[in-house]
Amino acid sequence: MKRMISPPRVIAVAIGLAGLLSALPALSQTATSPSGPIGRLLASNCFQCHGTNGRGPGFDTLAGKSASELYKDMKEFQAGKEGDNIMARHVMGYSDAQLQALAQWLSTQR
Amino acid sequence: MDRRQFVRSAATAGLLLPAGLVLADSNKAPKRVPPSPAPVAAKARVIVIGGGMAGATVAKYLRLWGDAVEVTLIERNPKYLSNIMSSLVLTGQRSLSGLTFGYDTLQARYGVKLVVGEVVEVDPVRVQVRLANGTWLSADRIVMAPGIGFDAVPGLDDVNRMPHAWQAGAQTTLLARQLAAMPSNGVAVLTVPKVPYRCPPGPYERACLIADWLKVNKPRAKLIVLDANPDFVTEVDNFSKAFYGLHGKVIEYRPNSIISSVDTHQMVVYASTGAVQAHVVNLIPQQRAGALAAGLATANGGRFVPVDVLSYACLDPAASRVHVIGDAAATTQPKAGHIANQEAKVCADALARIFGGGQPDPAPVTNSACYSTITRTQASWLTAVFQYDPVSKTMKPAPASSAASVGWQADNFDQMNTWFKALMADSFA
Repeated sequence: MKRMISPPRVIAVAIGLAGLLSALPALSQTATSPSGPIGRLLASNCFQCHGTNGRGPGFDTLAGKSASELYKDMKEFQAGKEGDNIMARHVMGYSDAQLQALAQWLSTQR
Repeated sequence: MDRRQFVRSAATAGLLLPAGLVLADSNKAPKRVPPSPAPVAAKARVIVIGGGMAGATVAKYLRLWGDAVEVTLIERNPKYLSNIMSSLVLTGQRSLSGLTFGYDTLQARYGVKLVVGEVVEVDPVRVQVRLANGTWLSADRIVMAPGIGFDAVPGLDDVNRMPHAWQAGAQTTLLARQLAAMPSNGVAVLTVPKVPYRCPPGPYERACLIADWLKVNKPRAKLIVLDANPDFVTEVDNFSKAFYGLHGKVIEYRPNSIISSVDTHQMVVYASTGAVQAHVVNLIPQQRAGALAAGLATANGGRFVPVDVLSYACLDPAASRVHVIGDAAATTQPKAGHIANQEAKVCADALARIFGGGQPDPAPVTNSACYSTITRTQASWLTAVFQYDPVSKTMKPAPASSAASVGWQADNFDQMNTWFKALMADSFA
């Protein structure tokens, strides 16, 4: 999957998402549950195809991307902008809150 | 070696690990990652029985996510042979050696302790297991990933005459040889067991693959598919088109075919839809949890093990510290390697939380994804995300995510190879 991302839209979404995330303090970068960061188990659903912690091998490497970029990419797949493919269907299985939580956790992976 | 000796020598092995390992990364400079030697002072101990997709993954993630959890993986074979992709061995497109995965990385990078041996007894109350050599090992929790076992088929006195090849290995090679030796106008039979069985699209994709191979190699041969189910159990559109259209001159599909017995000397399969004589019979019998879990298997008519899908702990209160993951568990999820990997992560996360004094995640999510070979170069895909439903206490497929490709493509075949590489790395490396 080769994808072009236009910078202005990324920034716009990033600002939108940043606002959204600041409204959800539980999703800050260091948020942890009694034993395990929020979003980690959810994000591990990505690992079978994108590698452990999103670091490959596999399809697009997810580590190193910002939460806003990951969230935007997933929403584009969900909206069918990438066609009716396995990733589009996969992402339809999550709520927005789940996508935000897993994107936030993945963004901590470098 | 008694238990004390085992614990001591394993701990020593943990101290001898290299100081750092280099990880290959396609996009960045190689990164040094800290090693994860087995904990010297373990806060909790887990025994994992079975090193397949579920067992290998839970061992890895318990070490990755657990705080000083000592993990001992017990597996009877020194290496794992992948069932996924193994039908491509039948057409000569893959080799068993290329489908072989070792436990070296789990040991070296994650500090998993490997015991190559046979577990002969599990004591769920004392949380102990006995090995064939008489050694008892104990832990705080046991995770069982014993995979599947097969029902006995009346008349099947020599399994090599009618191999299932549903666990990759010698039977896979044997079935490939039998197909190659078949006359060019020969008849092959493939049987599909009653649900639930391992890998729902698996028998149909194997039938498609064999049919595509027969067209070139045995142009007048036939493949009769005897399905114990009333219809294709999954991907109905794709397999209908493939069986009746694309491969219609090769495949003869007979649903509602319950096998009552076989005759391995005359090579006859007796089914509720009639008797069939064939040159090659790929007999895939009805399935149940692997033998070690038989005592816990009270679901699906005594076939599979009922579990709490928040942690995969057995529902049987007498076995509450025994967890069962993968194909042996009775859940609403399909029995397959990809989702077994995710069940393993849910289990590992739950155990890490429990050992830390917490509770399992109350809303786990899992997913199933796979590709089916419709020809030797084209594939379809199938996927579903499962969300925990607190009312039924089961994993429910999210409707919009439950889908298959419309038709099949060469692109999907390439993606299948990428998916396989990624999945195996997430489970074994």
